[in-house]
Amino acid sequence: MRETRKSPLETLRALRADGTLADNYPSVAPLLAAMVSGGAESDFRRAGNLLVQLDRQAVLTARPETETAVVALTGHSTIGGVRAPLTAEFARHGVLVENRLGDFDAYLRDLCDPTSALHAPDVDLALWILDPQTLTDETGTPWQADDLVRTAERKLAQIEHLATAFTRNATAALVLNTVPLPRSVTHQLIDHESRARAGIAWRDFNCGLLRLALGNPRIHVVDLDPLVAAGVPLDEPRMAAYAKASLGDDLLAGYAREVAHLSRMLRGRTKKVLVVDADNTLWDGILGDDGPDGIAAATTFRGEAFGSFQRAVQQIGSQGILLAISSKNDHEPVVQVLKDHPDMVLRECDFARVNANWQPKDDNLRDIAERLNLGIDSFVFADDSPFECGLVADSLPQVAVVRLDEEPALHIEKLLADGWFDTARLTDEDRARAALYRTESERAELQENSGSLEEYLQGLGVRVRLAEATAGDIDRVAQLSLRANQFNLTTVRLGVEDVTARAGDPGHLVLTIRSGDRFGDNGVVGAVFARRTADGTELHVENMLLSCRVFARGIEQATVASLLAHARATGTRTVHASYRPTAKNRNVRDFWPSMGFATTSTTDDGPRFHHDLADLPTVPAHILLDSSLEGTAS
Amino acid sequence: MTKEDFIHLVRDELDLPLGADDLSADFDHVVSWDSMHMLRLVSAVERETGTRVPVGRLLADRSLAAIYERVSAA
Repeated sequence: MRETRKSPLETLRALRADGTLADNYPSVAPLLAAMVSGGAESDFRRAGNLLVQLDRQAVLTARPETETAVVALTGHSTIGGVRAPLTAEFARHGVLVENRLGDFDAYLRDLCDPTSALHAPDVDLALWILDPQTLTDETGTPWQADDLVRTAERKLAQIEHLATAFTRNATAALVLNTVPLPRSVTHQLIDHESRARAGIAWRDFNCGLLRLALGNPRIHVVDLDPLVAAGVPLDEPRMAAYAKASLGDDLLAGYAREVAHLSRMLRGRTKKVLVVDADNTLWDGILGDDGPDGIAAATTFRGEAFGSFQRAVQQIGSQGILLAISSKNDHEPVVQVLKDHPDMVLRECDFARVNANWQPKDDNLRDIAERLNLGIDSFVFADDSPFECGLVADSLPQVAVVRLDEEPALHIEKLLADGWFDTARLTDEDRARAALYRTESERAELQENSGSLEEYLQGLGVRVRLAEATAGDIDRVAQLSLRANQFNLTTVRLGVEDVTARAGDPGHLVLTIRSGDRFGDNGVVGAVFARRTADGTELHVENMLLSCRVFARGIEQATVASLLAHARATGTRTVHASYRPTAKNRNVRDFWPSMGFATTSTTDDGPRFHHDLADLPTVPAHILLDSSLEGTAS
Repeated sequence: MTKEDFIHLVRDELDLPLGADDLSADFDHVVSWDSMHMLRLVSAVERETGTRVPVGRLLADRSLAAIYERVSAA
């Protein structure tokens, strides 16, 4: 039968032709996602050329809720070719981007001049695109290896200086990139000794760039070497010669994809759960038809490819991403395979949840999300069946779908293509997360065997420790600030630098909330940000966050009771707080009133509250509170 | 490559709303034309036909029709 359904690109073009593209902007992201997961990269490139011409203001007028980003670009060569792919890559994640392109070769001015477009306060990302000519243009002609060594050192020092100054003077995150070494550079040196020295100098330059990012959380470096290693050419010699485009279109497109991943990460939109199919995804064969002896994840050629994929999945799981299975199978045989099949790398204990049943997969994903108490938009779903992928993409567009196919040797590449799980830094809590979720099922068992919620909480033995954040807590607190969605009262997102600044400022209070119970320690599960007025009589709670793992155990009440007792003990007369509604935090809208706060006003941003500290709330009886703050809660 | 194929390719690759008449017009009169368009068009033609186009010479041409002549002769 002939396929009559329009391709995603045709649909996009039809919307443009109708003049309804701006009105239908929310449908753009799923269309672009379908092009990428369907492998239609040339369609995706064409979509970028189309979208870069779309009137941004028209979209914002028709769809004022659209998420936006501003990207300012500067560089040494022609970089205009990156605008279309950037537009498409951001749009694919639902973000309408504004690209502000600097003048050709104006990077020195753009970086130094505080009035340049790069320094504008609304810029989210400043891209400083480095290319081989950044180095070679300054070696002179003819040149020797020593000239390149000196140029590379000088250039690195200059970049370090400019980049550091930029992060002091501007608010945007700065994005640099490593520069792949062209053969046309090394092979202009005819002796191997010089070539080796030039190669070392060039790599030292790139290493220096990467180190720069290690030392400054506001600087990010996109490593282009892996893109080039995957077969993307560095340049197109004719574009380089005639248009001064030193980096080829394909490489800029790959770079744009990495930048969009980076932006997604900085917005805290990191995925937290990987749900995988089983048959022909984790192992070769169909368990229901072939039986446990007929499936393989080792020993055969194809089987070994599945084994490698399992190791990659396990590797992701070891870094705090929760793993789950959604498989059309009977439950028992799948669990049996995970328990004792000799080929398996992944075992039952690696999964936070195994949903093997005959329900539709979108229902299963909703069920897993509910049981793990995580938003379904933090899910990645990988399956080899085009039907299941299409079903989930249509029914749950907020889920990232990784469409695997019948070639298991490509599974890993497809899983890793979009950096869904990228995070700035890993914390101890991340590494321990899978174990924490496993103890969750033991807690569920206790709950089932308890007569009432009170009895359950009593049996759980919840401990809460409240303390001022120290240097070792900064990464985790920033991560919570960026990632917590449900118990996040104002959604003021703070990066590592913001948290560091507040923790070091005597006018601010940054508290960590640690919790544990008889099943184990949960680590830092929440934070409070507050600010004192200069005379110390008022305390403004700017935000409070709690990991969704530990809701409704009295931890939030104990924290606020303790905070208010501390405020009263240190001479505060009024504590102010607010709630700013988002799509995710509806459940906590009555939190402040429930703690005895009175509503003072309601602004466009949401209600504001205050507490006069006359009558303090008490710590729930089942909680063992340990606070290092002055003032004891009762 | 026929003239129609060529116009299709220009429309598809560059997303320029091009009519058949625009083919002979000077670049100054073609919607937002720039030299990057030309280079990108050449890449697309080469991908499509598998034949290399002499870019250095094309840069002197002033219309899509002239480019089409060279491309179809290549």
